[in-house]
Amino acid sequence: MDKSAREAYVSFNNVQKSYDGVNLVVKDLKLDVQRGEFMTMLGPSGSGKTTCLMMLAGFETATSGDIILDGDAINDVPPWKRDIGIVFQNYALFPHMTVQENLAYPMQVRKVSKSDIEDRVKKALGMVQLDGFAGRRPGQLSGGQQQRVAVARALVFEPKLVLMDEPLGALDRQLREQMQYEIKHIHENLGVTVVYVTHDQAEALTMSNRVCVFDDGVVQQVAAPNILYEQPDNAFVAQFIGENNTFLATVKEKNGDQCVAQVDTGETLTALAINIGQSETKTTLSLRPERVTINPNAGEFKNVVSGKVKELIYLGDHIRTRLELCGQDNFIVKVQNAARHSHLLEGETVQVGWHIEDCRALDAL
Amino acid sequence: MSLPAYTGPVGRIWHAAFIAICCLVFIFLMAPILVIVPLSFNAEPYFTFTPAMLRLDPEAFSFRWYLDVLGIGEGTGANRGYEWAFAARNSLFIAFFATLLATALGTLAAVGLSRTQMPFRKPIMALLISPLIVPIIIIAAGMFFFYSKVGLAYSHLGVILAHAAIGTPYVVITVTATMVGFDETLIRASASLGAKPLRTFFRVIMPLITPGVISGALFAFITSFDEVVLIYFLADAEQKTIPIQMWSGLRQQISPSILAVATLLITFSVILLVAVELLRRRSERLRTSAVT
Amino acid sequence: MATVQQPIIIDGRPLKEQLARAERRKKYVAFAMVLPLLLFILITFAIPIGSMLFRSVDNPRMITLAPQLTAELSEWDGQDMPPEEVFEAAVKDFKLAAEAGTLGRIATRVNYSMAGARSLIVKSKRKFKNVTEGPYREVMIKADKRWGELDTWKTLKKVSVPYTPVYFLNAIDRDLDGDGNIVKQPSEKRIYVKLFVRTLWIALLVTVLTLILGYPIAYLISTQPPRISNLLIIMVLLPFWTSLLVRTTSWIVLLQTQGVLNDLMVWMGVISDDGRIQMIYNLQGTLIAMTQILLPFMVLPMYSVMKTIPLSELRASQSLGANPFITFFRIFLPRSIPGIGAGGLLVFVVSVGYYITPALVGGAKGQMISNQIAFHMKSSLNWGLAAALGTILLVGVLVLYWLYDKVVGIDKMKLG
Repeated sequence: MDKSAREAYVSFNNVQKSYDGVNLVVKDLKLDVQRGEFMTMLGPSGSGKTTCLMMLAGFETATSGDIILDGDAINDVPPWKRDIGIVFQNYALFPHMTVQENLAYPMQVRKVSKSDIEDRVKKALGMVQLDGFAGRRPGQLSGGQQQRVAVARALVFEPKLVLMDEPLGALDRQLREQMQYEIKHIHENLGVTVVYVTHDQAEALTMSNRVCVFDDGVVQQVAAPNILYEQPDNAFVAQFIGENNTFLATVKEKNGDQCVAQVDTGETLTALAINIGQSETKTTLSLRPERVTINPNAGEFKNVVSGKVKELIYLGDHIRTRLELCGQDNFIVKVQNAARHSHLLEGETVQVGWHIEDCRALDAL
Repeated sequence: MSLPAYTGPVGRIWHAAFIAICCLVFIFLMAPILVIVPLSFNAEPYFTFTPAMLRLDPEAFSFRWYLDVLGIGEGTGANRGYEWAFAARNSLFIAFFATLLATALGTLAAVGLSRTQMPFRKPIMALLISPLIVPIIIIAAGMFFFYSKVGLAYSHLGVILAHAAIGTPYVVITVTATMVGFDETLIRASASLGAKPLRTFFRVIMPLITPGVISGALFAFITSFDEVVLIYFLADAEQKTIPIQMWSGLRQQISPSILAVATLLITFSVILLVAVELLRRRSERLRTSAVT
Repeated sequence: MATVQQPIIIDGRPLKEQLARAERRKKYVAFAMVLPLLLFILITFAIPIGSMLFRSVDNPRMITLAPQLTAELSEWDGQDMPPEEVFEAAVKDFKLAAEAGTLGRIATRVNYSMAGARSLIVKSKRKFKNVTEGPYREVMIKADKRWGELDTWKTLKKVSVPYTPVYFLNAIDRDLDGDGNIVKQPSEKRIYVKLFVRTLWIALLVTVLTLILGYPIAYLISTQPPRISNLLIIMVLLPFWTSLLVRTTSWIVLLQTQGVLNDLMVWMGVISDDGRIQMIYNLQGTLIAMTQILLPFMVLPMYSVMKTIPLSELRASQSLGANPFITFFRIFLPRSIPGIGAGGLLVFVVSVGYYITPALVGGAKGQMISNQIAFHMKSSLNWGLAAALGTILLVGVLVLYWLYDKVVGIDKMKLG
């Protein structure tokens, strides 16, 4: 909580949520979001992230704990008084209203004057590049266009906060990537605070200032995308974000921030000690596939083991190489398809090495 | 229904009023059915709760009207037991054959109507559904003249044909509804696995639409079983059914035996309703498991 | 290189032709499956109704029972007293009819249009028995001086045409006078227009009542979790499945002056024992019973529309600043209108033709047009008028059916 010096804009203070009175869906949640930040809640389905969003929006009630927005506890504020714009998973555009009427709706219920409404609707449509679509009904729009209208509607009344609940889930891959950049740019231009929910880690890394990884109702790590990728706090985060090679090993000795661990086949490896117990306890060693070098120069790396090439998959920019080493046969190495790279053969035995800093000893999975 | 924490006093009052209104409407819906059941056990020939009944005095309750209906009691005139037994036999006989005819014709037609190649689909559908919409008195009048002319009036066959005609729309509707969710690729899959069209019909199409067929058949059955106007116009004493017996009882002098019959009919419809509900759930399960 | 597209030939036949043939065969197969039911409905249902409706204009009785008279009357211009030939034909036909025993039916038919005609004609049986030669005119006027009146003959001419608009005119409280002009019926006979209006009024009231009562419960059911909503749906379906006669019986038991509801009110002291309220055998009885009976027809279509309104739309509305009332009126209500349309039209169509319930609980004031049709079918035996009333009712119902198809679509009709 190094940033707690600055006043948080949104905060969850020890929030719990249970639907049935027995199981907690959200366990003791503490989370701060800064003003103007793009915060993503990332996690597998059922991890409690959407429940958190719905509590923030006011459609679910927290079982205990406080939710603060801009300095006020909003637990007892009904949704229609919270001033929070939401982009829903299925857009939730009103099919019986035109795009114009959909966008005008939040201002009409706030009794904004007619001419103001028109100006703002026009501006909002311009922002999402849908000028000229005001008279259409949602049913006459493509999925991507509906998505833009939903974003415009959540922003048009200048809410204190914008929530997005897997808004891009229904779009095809290409459109989804395009919309990611558009939403990111809108956020940058308007400086509005966004809380975004997704289960797609690439999406989370692309768009967010910070990402909050959820699992089983508990926050696993809150950090900027690069830190999350390169310095995961625990095995779940390491597994969930990006691709990862893991070894189950036993801790042998601990030297400052490093440790030595032995895998079941006998090789000893040195790793950064992030999240381990005492000697002779189990740990998970985690290593990114692109940080591994095949046939390194002697002495370049501390960790060098030999393995056997099992499978080569040609992927254009790199060759995905599956090796058998340290007793497991799904060790993945991404070999860059550079001009000078030496061609590997299936069945060949090679040396692989990596830096100590790239291998992290995390909690035992 | 639990209310969110932020609901204000106005919201709470509205909510309470809303729930109260709904309760009253449900009472309005159910009361007529619920009141008649205890009254059918009245020991006295009255149509209201006697003070003794309200005290739950066992003396005030009896099975005498049921015994009358079953022909064991001392009922007289039109309420003599064998009259009801005779009517019940007629009702079941007519309803059974009318249902059989309606279901066979309706199912075949519904499968045909669901084919994309079906010509004049809309007008034919409109005609086949129309017995549901045309006022029963007009149907009765039309059938009365026509069936008299061709010698079908005052016969069981005439009544069965008439009841089958007004029962078919139900079968067509329910089976067509099941066919809407029918996955055409299953037919192709069956053909690709070597089944001829007829085999495909019986082994693939029929099992999947069976819930629709059965619930359509139950609708057709209950329609015939409850029908009174056509019988009133087309039948005489030989084709007397339970509804026509009740009808004449209600128009002349209402006897408590009618309440006993009504209670028996309510029990009957509860059984049918449960059957349909179970079928509906079964077909829903089949359908969802087919999707996932 | 430009190529001319050649038709594709397989086994010596153009593929296009073969495809068209296969398509045609599929069409025949589909049609053949529908054909048995189509024929069945045409023969047992559509043709009987069509031929019944034809009776509303058909007027065959005089032509078949008094053929000479009809022929002579059609020659006569109807301006002055008819010529001797008409009188001769009348005497001869009446004598023949008397021998065949059909004179009474002629008398009845003429009596529809002229009060007292029955006795006039039946009397002639005796008077004309020994008349064998003319002048017939004098004989007839001697027998009854009404035969010397022009109006009598005009009426006879009127009832002797093969097709007549009279039944339709009667059905809208009009009649043809002796000169063929359309005139209003005497005021004591003007009942049908009023009855049509009352029928529409009852149907409208029932529709509005079922809407008012049905909307809240459809809303409640659509917003409950499945466990509760299934139970509530069953409470709607049970009355739907229960015999119509049973439910009508229940209402008699509940509402009659010595019935459960009156007893309850007397016991609670709301009314005195001799101040019991007449709630049945009048318009009120018809309305109460029909509303309860037709309520499921309203609730089920509304419910099936309401449950498709996504929760997220309502949440979106609230998140945009609309409180639950605004959300209801601006989002939920407009989104549920298709259900209101479907249910409302269905209830209206069904209630316009209602017969059993009004007959049992309607008394005199709660009768509808169907009851009058039944009366003319079964009691007065004025089948032409019954057919005319039926035709008007059927045309109205078919217009509503067409409207239902436009608004809802008949293939979207659902049961339970």
